[in-house]
Amino acid sequence: MPNYRRHGLRRQGAVALGLAGLLVATAACGSDTDDDPGTTEGQSGGTMVFGTSADPISMDGAYVSDGESLRVVRQLFETLVTTKAGGTDIEPLLATEYEPSNAGKTWTFTLREGVKFHDGTDFDAEAVCANFDRWYNFKGVQQSASVSYYWQTVFSGYAKNEDPALGASLYQDCTAQDGKAVINLTSPSASFLSGLALAAFSIASPEALTKYEADKVTGTGEEPRFEGTFGTQNPVGTGPFTLETFEPNNRLVLARNEEYWGDKAILDKVIFKPIADGPARRQALESNEIQGYDLVDPADLDALEGAGFQIAERPAFNVGYVGFNTAKPPFDNLKIRQAVAHALNRQALVTAKYPPGAEVAKEFMPPSLFGYADDVPEYEYDVQKAKALIAESGVANPTLEFWYPTGVSRPYMPDPAANFQAFSADLTAAGFKVVPKSAPWNPDYLNAVDTGGTGMRLLGWTGDFGDPDNFVGTFFRTPQKAWGPIEKSIYSDLDAARAEPDEAKRTALYEAVNSKIMEFVPGVPYVHTKPALAFAKGVSGYVPSPVSIEDFSKVSLSS
Amino acid sequence: MSVAQFEAVESSAVSPQEAAGGLGRDALRRLRRSPTAIVGAVLVTLFVLVAVFAPLLAPYEPNFQRLDLIRPGVYPGPSSEFLLGLDQLGRDELSRIIYGARYSLLIGVVSLTLGAAVGIALGLLAGAFGGWVDSLVMRIVDVMLAIPSLLLAIGVAALLGRSITSVMIAIAVVNVPIFARLLRGSMLAQRRSDYALAARSLGVPRSRIVLQHVLPNSLSPVIVQGTLALATAIIEAAGLAYLGLGSADPSIPEWGRMLADTQNSLATAPLLALWPGLAIVLSVMGFYLLGEALREALDPKLRR
Repeated sequence: MPNYRRHGLRRQGAVALGLAGLLVATAACGSDTDDDPGTTEGQSGGTMVFGTSADPISMDGAYVSDGESLRVVRQLFETLVTTKAGGTDIEPLLATEYEPSNAGKTWTFTLREGVKFHDGTDFDAEAVCANFDRWYNFKGVQQSASVSYYWQTVFSGYAKNEDPALGASLYQDCTAQDGKAVINLTSPSASFLSGLALAAFSIASPEALTKYEADKVTGTGEEPRFEGTFGTQNPVGTGPFTLETFEPNNRLVLARNEEYWGDKAILDKVIFKPIADGPARRQALESNEIQGYDLVDPADLDALEGAGFQIAERPAFNVGYVGFNTAKPPFDNLKIRQAVAHALNRQALVTAKYPPGAEVAKEFMPPSLFGYADDVPEYEYDVQKAKALIAESGVANPTLEFWYPTGVSRPYMPDPAANFQAFSADLTAAGFKVVPKSAPWNPDYLNAVDTGGTGMRLLGWTGDFGDPDNFVGTFFRTPQKAWGPIEKSIYSDLDAARAEPDEAKRTALYEAVNSKIMEFVPGVPYVHTKPALAFAKGVSGYVPSPVSIEDFSKVSLSS
Repeated sequence: MSVAQFEAVESSAVSPQEAAGGLGRDALRRLRRSPTAIVGAVLVTLFVLVAVFAPLLAPYEPNFQRLDLIRPGVYPGPSSEFLLGLDQLGRDELSRIIYGARYSLLIGVVSLTLGAAVGIALGLLAGAFGGWVDSLVMRIVDVMLAIPSLLLAIGVAALLGRSITSVMIAIAVVNVPIFARLLRGSMLAQRRSDYALAARSLGVPRSRIVLQHVLPNSLSPVIVQGTLALATAIIEAAGLAYLGLGSADPSIPEWGRMLADTQNSLATAPLLALWPGLAIVLSVMGFYLLGEALREALDPKLRR
């Protein structure tokens, strides 16, 4: 399953909100909602209501891949390692140290001491191994890509693969040795550690997992049903917040974990309120019904900022692109692909339709990631050159079947129909005939893409973790029907880059392959954006992360 | 006097045709005196002229694009260069409204012609034969009428895929039962009228009675319905486009789609929603006013 599917509602990418600086302690901020129970005891941080676009599907990290679920999982659970606030560098969390040995096939994690799960049980090496073994032994519906998507991304397969298409598992076993968790892999992997920062690898209380039947999943891969209550009512982790109540379609209340091992959360409570409609989220913020929300419409940024709200941008960690299927003529013709690349006025589109801070892309990964090459072949906007290339291609009256999705908005593509129309006008001006094709995003559009049914398509990608394999690797490491056949050496080069343990060599390998990719032009990357969140005046301490690893425990409200 | 002679007399002196002709003249006179009719006619004429001469009237091509003048959420308003301002992609709003009239007219006329043709054929069948043919046709029509028209149109359009053609067919399908029922009812009334009875008693063949006497006399409500159906067709076309069931090409300037596209920028650029909305309202109002006036003018009971 291609990775873009899981983006569900998540928006990642972008800059640190000038956090502390924003602590303009002015007008009463909206901390006093009716949910605020007269906070008399000890530390009083108030309650913050945060507008989300949907309820979590489950609070069991192993089962989810959408941003709304992961946001909640992040507050309740913790992972062995995490990313540095606002970046993609890995730093310790539940593990204080980690060390590879045996040529990168064995990883020893020294665990933090004195950590307890919300149910009072101890966090230890046995608990860590119990979690890994649980994921590794997923069966039936649990093995479908929509359920344990991230396990498949990082570890490929399971103990017993039920779908022959799944690869052999990267995970071999986990043993508890002198308070340390030792994880053995079947082959060396350079991206394994970055992967462990994903909320999908949150360590849950093994006792609670059993007690609340976390493994009881029925239904189908497309529509899994979580029968146990672990993910819906009883998530038990080690995080800075515990679940107080979850009323679907109404609110999800998190309370400060008073027994937390580290710095306790400042806020007493965080309430996630689902508001599906974008304009309604904005109105809720304006009326102080909520004190922050995600997925801010780029067109609203100026107005919100002008009205005194804070805008927090995530660092650009995505790419929007026009993809070709080289199995479909005329996209098998290099000159035609180059002509399309020259015909698109990417700069005009990015300036007109994307928020300030968005940049024109020239390759398939964001500049902040190692392996990004500055000297890839570039295709500047040049209608005459496009026309000349069409003439050279030998294709008379080239017709482009151009697909765009409906009913979807992504950080890299806030309004697909607008992008389509802008590009379509560019292509027509260069002498192409454009045949418009569209389908609802999920499942029709994505299915059409996956099965190679689209000639030319609008799509994009948001990174999950800070590794180029999660960008160019997902697109081009294995042959995919969506792209059609591409230059064969790209596949092998990406395989080699993925396995290379030496960081400097890896970087060089990725830089080289990025140039090779842009020489072949399997698509035209056109934008890296900075998705934004909006907050009320008194909110501070929220650090936007490129990979949406964002912690509410540091957030405070001034009143 | 032979039957033929009687018929000759009938057609020269008191024939229904002449009555209809008289009614037609009468109707025209009354139309000219009705302000409603005049306003309606002016609006309709304007609409048709704009649609037909769109390339001459529009200052720009509908897809002429000045993306460089656009910033997120900021769309230049009316100016001397762009009279109604620019849309979300930097295209001239006025030109798109003007070209939009073409699609509305095209969809309206084609769907009306299609729907009316099938509907009239069915109504004629039911009205002329009566009996089980009537029952069968009318039950089918009842079933179609039982489904709310926009829902029916959405169903048909969704089934046929996104294109202007499917919109036309969808709206035509909605019109079929309306015309069928109307014509059949009107014909039933005429068939029982004295002149039809007289013709029958004289042995005039049924086909002749139906086609030459009953049908022409039953058509006036159909004509009125035709005008009103054009108005409905414009609204339905806009509705379907608004719901994303219009053409697959989003750059086609359909009024309904233009309206839908402004949804997210209502707060920043409310004028962009006003123009297509106004265009829909004015053209629909034109057809309604004309239709209403026509109904009054053609109704013999209202003759004063």
